[in-house]
Amino acid sequence: MIRRQAPADPAQALAAALTAEYAAIFAYGPIGVRLTDAARRDARAAEAAHRARRDALVLQLSAGGGQVPADRAGYALPYPVTDRAAALRLAVEIEERTAAFWRAALPVTTGADRTRALNALTDCAVRATRWRRTARMSPLTIAFPGRPA
Amino acid sequence: MLRAGALLTAGGATLPLTGCDLLDRDEPAPPPDPLEPLAGEARELAARHRAAVAADPGLADRLTPIADAHAAHAEEIQRLIGRPVPSGSPAPGASGPAGDRDELLAGLRAAEQRGRESAAKACAAAPAERAAVLGSIAAARATHVEVLK
Repeated sequence: MIRRQAPADPAQALAAALTAEYAAIFAYGPIGVRLTDAARRDARAAEAAHRARRDALVLQLSAGGGQVPADRAGYALPYPVTDRAAALRLAVEIEERTAAFWRAALPVTTGADRTRALNALTDCAVRATRWRRTARMSPLTIAFPGRPA
Repeated sequence: MLRAGALLTAGGATLPLTGCDLLDRDEPAPPPDPLEPLAGEARELAARHRAAVAADPGLADRLTPIADAHAAHAEEIQRLIGRPVPSGSPAPGASGPAGDRDELLAGLRAAEQRGRESAAKACAAAPAERAAVLGSIAAARATHVEVLK
Protein backbone atom coordinates (compact mmCIF):
# COMPACT_ATOMS: atom_id res chain seq x y z
CA MET A 1 0.00 0.00 0.00
CA ILE A 2 2.90 2.36 0.69
CA ARG A 3 4.47 3.82 -2.41
CA ARG A 4 8.03 2.54 -2.50
CA GLN A 5 9.46 5.03 -4.96
CA ALA A 6 11.04 8.01 -3.22
CA PRO A 7 9.74 11.41 -4.38
CA ALA A 8 12.20 13.42 -6.46
CA ASP A 9 11.21 16.96 -5.46
CA PRO A 10 9.01 18.83 -2.96
CA ALA A 11 6.02 19.14 -5.30
CA GLN A 12 6.02 15.40 -5.97
CA ALA A 13 6.40 14.59 -2.25
CA LEU A 14 3.60 16.94 -1.22
CA ALA A 15 1.32 15.65 -4.00
CA ALA A 16 1.92 12.11 -2.72
CA ALA A 17 1.21 13.25 0.85
CA LEU A 18 -2.03 14.80 -0.40
CA THR A 19 -3.20 11.49 -1.89
CA ALA A 20 -2.42 9.83 1.45
CA GLU A 21 -4.47 12.48 3.28
CA TYR A 22 -7.41 11.89 0.89
CA ALA A 23 -7.28 8.17 1.63
CA ALA A 24 -7.03 8.78 5.40
CA ILE A 25 -10.07 11.07 5.37
CA PHE A 26 -11.99 8.45 3.40
CA ALA A 27 -11.00 5.64 5.77
CA TYR A 28 -12.12 7.50 8.89
CA GLY A 29 -15.71 7.31 7.57
CA PRO A 30 -16.07 3.52 7.92
CA ILE A 31 -13.81 3.62 11.01
CA GLY A 32 -16.03 6.12 12.85
CA VAL A 33 -19.17 4.11 12.14
CA ARG A 34 -17.79 1.16 14.14
CA LEU A 35 -16.71 3.21 17.16
CA THR A 36 -18.65 4.73 20.04
CA ASP A 37 -18.22 7.43 22.67
CA ALA A 38 -14.65 8.65 23.25
CA ALA A 39 -13.21 6.53 20.44
CA ARG A 40 -15.72 7.93 17.97
CA ARG A 41 -14.84 11.46 19.09
CA ASP A 42 -11.16 10.64 18.60
CA ALA A 43 -11.92 9.41 15.08
CA ARG A 44 -13.76 12.65 14.30
CA ALA A 45 -10.85 14.71 15.63
CA ALA A 46 -8.37 12.64 13.62
CA GLU A 47 -10.44 13.06 10.48
CA ALA A 48 -10.60 16.82 11.06
CA ALA A 49 -6.81 16.94 11.46
CA HIS A 50 -6.35 15.11 8.15
CA ARG A 51 -8.83 17.48 6.48
CA ALA A 52 -6.81 20.45 7.73
CA ARG A 53 -3.61 18.97 6.26
CA ARG A 54 -5.42 18.27 3.00
CA ASP A 55 -6.70 21.84 2.74
CA ALA A 56 -3.27 23.28 3.47
CA LEU A 57 -1.68 21.02 0.85
CA VAL A 58 -4.26 21.89 -1.83
CA LEU A 59 -3.66 25.59 -1.18
CA GLN A 60 0.10 25.23 -1.22
CA LEU A 61 0.25 23.08 -4.36
CA SER A 62 -2.20 25.37 -6.19
CA ALA A 63 -0.20 28.45 -5.23
CA GLY A 64 2.94 26.77 -6.50
CA GLY A 65 1.28 26.28 -9.88
CA GLY A 66 1.96 22.56 -9.80
CA GLN A 67 -0.30 19.58 -10.34
CA VAL A 68 -2.87 19.10 -7.59
CA PRO A 69 -3.95 15.45 -7.56
CA ALA A 70 -7.73 15.08 -7.41
CA ASP A 71 -9.59 13.24 -4.70
CA ARG A 72 -11.27 10.00 -5.72
CA ALA A 73 -14.82 8.93 -4.99
CA GLY A 74 -13.59 5.94 -3.02
CA TYR A 75 -10.48 4.14 -1.85
CA ALA A 76 -9.97 0.42 -1.50
CA LEU A 77 -9.74 -0.59 2.14
CA PRO A 78 -7.36 -3.45 2.97
CA TYR A 79 -10.16 -5.41 4.69
CA PRO A 80 -13.83 -4.89 5.55
CA VAL A 81 -14.37 -2.76 8.64
CA THR A 82 -17.07 -4.86 10.28
CA ASP A 83 -16.46 -4.25 13.98
CA ARG A 84 -14.63 -2.15 16.56
CA ALA A 85 -11.44 -4.24 16.46
CA ALA A 86 -11.13 -3.90 12.69
CA ALA A 87 -11.86 -0.17 12.91
CA LEU A 88 -9.09 0.38 15.47
CA ARG A 89 -6.65 -1.77 13.50
CA LEU A 90 -7.36 0.20 10.34
CA ALA A 91 -7.00 3.50 12.22
CA VAL A 92 -3.51 2.46 13.35
CA GLU A 93 -2.60 1.38 9.82
CA ILE A 94 -3.94 4.56 8.23
CA GLU A 95 -1.87 6.72 10.55
CA GLU A 96 1.25 4.62 9.95
CA ARG A 97 0.70 4.78 6.20
CA THR A 98 0.17 8.54 6.17
CA ALA A 99 3.24 8.98 8.40
CA ALA A 100 5.32 7.18 5.75
CA PHE A 101 4.33 9.69 3.06
CA TRP A 102 5.22 12.65 5.25
CA ARG A 103 8.50 11.06 6.21
CA ALA A 104 9.32 10.63 2.52
CA ALA A 105 8.84 14.39 2.11
CA LEU A 106 11.59 15.23 4.65
CA PRO A 107 14.67 14.61 2.48
CA VAL A 108 13.34 16.61 -0.49
CA THR A 109 12.14 19.62 1.49
CA THR A 110 13.89 22.35 3.51
CA GLY A 111 12.90 25.15 5.86
CA ALA A 112 9.19 25.67 6.56
CA ASP A 113 8.18 22.82 4.23
CA ARG A 114 10.33 20.34 6.11
CA THR A 115 9.02 21.61 9.46
CA ARG A 116 5.44 21.12 8.27
CA ALA A 117 6.26 17.62 7.03
CA LEU A 118 7.85 16.76 10.38
CA ASN A 119 4.84 18.11 12.28
CA ALA A 120 2.52 16.02 10.12
CA LEU A 121 4.68 12.89 10.55
CA THR A 122 4.73 13.46 14.31
CA ASP A 123 0.96 13.98 14.55
CA CYS A 124 0.32 10.74 12.61
CA ALA A 125 2.74 8.84 14.85
CA VAL A 126 1.12 10.17 18.04
CA ARG A 127 -2.38 9.31 16.76
CA ALA A 128 -1.18 5.79 15.86
CA THR A 129 0.07 5.42 19.44
CA ARG A 130 -3.27 6.64 20.85
CA TRP A 131 -5.17 4.17 18.67
CA ARG A 132 -2.89 1.34 19.80
CA ARG A 133 -3.68 2.30 23.39
CA THR A 134 -7.44 2.37 22.69
CA ALA A 135 -7.13 -1.07 21.07
CA ARG A 136 -4.96 -2.31 23.98
CA MET A 137 -2.20 -3.27 21.58
CA SER A 138 1.34 -3.75 22.80
CA PRO A 139 3.82 -2.17 22.41
CA LEU A 140 2.25 1.26 22.02
CA THR A 141 5.14 2.71 20.06
CA ILE A 142 7.48 1.80 17.22
CA ALA A 143 11.11 2.87 17.05
CA PHE A 144 11.04 4.61 13.64
CA PRO A 145 7.56 5.96 12.79
CA GLY A 146 7.01 6.25 9.05
CA ARG A 147 9.98 4.10 8.07
CA PRO A 148 9.01 1.50 5.46
CA ALA A 149 9.11 -1.99 6.94
CA MET B 1 49.71 -5.13 -24.15
CA LEU B 2 49.58 -1.48 -25.01
CA ARG B 3 46.55 -0.96 -22.76
CA ALA B 4 48.10 -2.80 -19.83
CA GLY B 5 51.26 -0.74 -20.17
CA ALA B 6 49.32 2.51 -20.27
CA LEU B 7 47.41 1.53 -17.15
CA LEU B 8 50.57 0.73 -15.26
CA THR B 9 52.09 4.05 -16.18
CA ALA B 10 48.98 5.96 -15.16
CA GLY B 11 48.81 4.05 -11.90
CA GLY B 12 52.41 4.75 -11.12
CA ALA B 13 51.98 8.43 -11.83
CA THR B 14 49.03 8.85 -9.48
CA LEU B 15 50.38 6.92 -6.51
CA PRO B 16 53.03 8.92 -4.67
CA LEU B 17 53.48 6.31 -1.99
CA THR B 18 55.81 8.14 0.35
CA GLY B 19 53.67 11.27 0.34
CA CYS B 20 50.59 9.23 1.17
CA ASP B 21 52.29 7.64 4.12
CA LEU B 22 53.31 11.00 5.50
CA LEU B 23 49.77 12.40 5.17
CA ASP B 24 48.26 9.42 6.95
CA ARG B 25 50.45 9.96 9.97
CA ASP B 26 49.75 13.68 10.20
CA GLU B 27 46.01 13.49 9.59
CA PRO B 28 44.23 15.56 12.24
CA ALA B 29 41.26 14.11 14.14
CA PRO B 30 38.04 14.74 12.15
CA PRO B 31 35.87 17.57 13.50
CA PRO B 32 33.02 16.46 15.76
CA ASP B 33 29.84 15.56 13.87
CA PRO B 34 26.85 17.83 14.64
CA LEU B 35 24.88 14.68 15.52
CA GLU B 36 27.21 13.60 18.35
CA PRO B 37 25.08 15.35 21.04
CA LEU B 38 21.91 13.71 19.69
CA ALA B 39 23.55 10.26 19.82
CA GLY B 40 24.64 10.95 23.39
CA GLU B 41 21.13 12.08 24.30
CA ALA B 42 19.65 8.85 22.85
CA ARG B 43 22.06 6.75 24.94
CA GLU B 44 21.22 8.82 28.00
CA LEU B 45 17.45 8.43 27.45
CA ALA B 46 17.84 4.65 27.03
CA ALA B 47 19.78 4.52 30.32
CA ARG B 48 17.19 6.68 32.13
CA HIS B 49 14.35 4.36 31.15
CA ARG B 50 16.36 1.29 32.16
CA ALA B 51 17.19 2.89 35.51
CA ALA B 52 13.50 3.67 36.04
CA VAL B 53 12.58 0.03 35.37
CA ALA B 54 15.24 -1.07 37.85
CA ALA B 55 13.77 1.28 40.47
CA ASP B 56 10.15 0.32 39.75
CA PRO B 57 9.89 -3.05 37.95
CA GLY B 58 6.12 -2.54 37.57
CA LEU B 59 6.95 -0.08 34.79
CA ALA B 60 8.87 -2.64 32.72
CA ASP B 61 6.11 -3.32 30.17
CA ARG B 62 5.68 0.36 29.51
CA LEU B 63 9.28 1.55 29.53
CA THR B 64 11.34 -1.32 28.12
CA PRO B 65 10.12 -0.82 24.52
CA ILE B 66 10.96 2.88 24.88
CA ALA B 67 14.45 2.12 26.18
CA ASP B 68 14.95 -0.27 23.25
CA ALA B 69 13.81 2.42 20.81
CA HIS B 70 16.36 4.89 22.20
CA ALA B 71 19.11 2.29 21.92
CA ALA B 72 18.09 1.68 18.28
CA HIS B 73 18.11 5.45 17.68
CA ALA B 74 21.60 5.79 19.15
CA GLU B 75 22.82 3.03 16.87
CA GLU B 76 21.20 4.60 13.80
CA ILE B 77 22.58 8.07 14.57
CA GLN B 78 26.03 6.57 15.07
CA ARG B 79 25.66 4.88 11.69
CA LEU B 80 24.88 8.28 10.11
CA ILE B 81 27.94 9.76 11.80
CA GLY B 82 29.96 6.90 10.35
CA ARG B 83 32.23 6.48 13.36
CA PRO B 84 31.99 4.38 16.50
CA VAL B 85 31.12 6.03 19.82
CA PRO B 86 34.17 8.10 20.91
CA SER B 87 36.07 6.27 23.64
CA GLY B 88 36.01 9.31 25.96
CA SER B 89 32.19 9.43 26.05
CA PRO B 90 30.78 9.26 29.56
CA ALA B 91 28.82 6.11 30.34
CA PRO B 92 25.28 7.37 30.87
CA GLY B 93 22.86 6.40 33.62
CA ALA B 94 25.16 6.50 36.63
CA SER B 95 22.66 8.20 38.95
CA GLY B 96 19.52 6.30 39.89
CA PRO B 97 16.15 8.03 39.74
CA ALA B 98 14.54 9.25 42.94
CA GLY B 99 10.93 9.69 44.01
CA ASP B 100 7.66 7.82 43.56
CA ARG B 101 6.23 6.52 40.31
CA ASP B 102 4.50 9.78 39.39
CA GLU B 103 7.70 11.76 39.86
CA LEU B 104 9.64 9.16 37.93
CA LEU B 105 7.25 9.35 34.97
CA ALA B 106 7.11 13.15 35.09
CA GLY B 107 10.91 13.29 34.91
CA LEU B 108 10.98 10.90 31.95
CA ARG B 109 8.23 12.84 30.21
CA ALA B 110 10.14 16.11 30.53
CA ALA B 111 13.30 14.43 29.23
CA GLU B 112 11.40 13.02 26.22
CA GLN B 113 9.91 16.44 25.50
CA ARG B 114 13.38 18.02 25.49
CA GLY B 115 14.60 15.13 23.35
CA ARG B 116 11.79 15.64 20.89
CA GLU B 117 12.77 19.29 20.50
CA SER B 118 16.46 18.56 19.97
CA ALA B 119 15.67 15.86 17.39
CA ALA B 120 13.30 18.22 15.56
CA LYS B 121 16.01 20.89 15.47
CA ALA B 122 18.53 18.37 14.17
CA CYS B 123 16.05 17.25 11.48
CA ALA B 124 15.44 20.85 10.37
CA ALA B 125 19.18 21.52 10.03
CA ALA B 126 20.15 18.17 8.51
CA PRO B 127 21.23 17.43 4.95
CA ALA B 128 18.73 15.44 2.87
CA GLU B 129 20.29 12.04 3.52
CA ARG B 130 19.85 12.42 7.30
CA ALA B 131 16.44 14.11 7.43
CA ALA B 132 14.20 11.03 7.34
CA VAL B 133 15.93 9.16 10.17
CA LEU B 134 16.04 12.27 12.36
CA GLY B 135 12.36 12.95 11.61
CA SER B 136 11.43 9.43 12.69
CA ILE B 137 13.42 9.89 15.90
CA ALA B 138 11.66 13.20 16.69
CA ALA B 139 8.28 11.57 16.02
CA ALA B 140 9.16 8.54 18.15
CA ARG B 141 10.09 10.78 21.09
CA ALA B 142 6.72 12.55 20.72
CA THR B 143 4.99 9.16 20.99
CA HIS B 144 7.02 8.45 24.14
CA VAL B 145 5.69 11.67 25.69
CA GLU B 146 2.21 10.37 24.86
CA VAL B 147 2.82 6.98 26.49
CA LEU B 148 4.21 8.62 29.65
CA LYS B 149 1.11 10.79 30.14
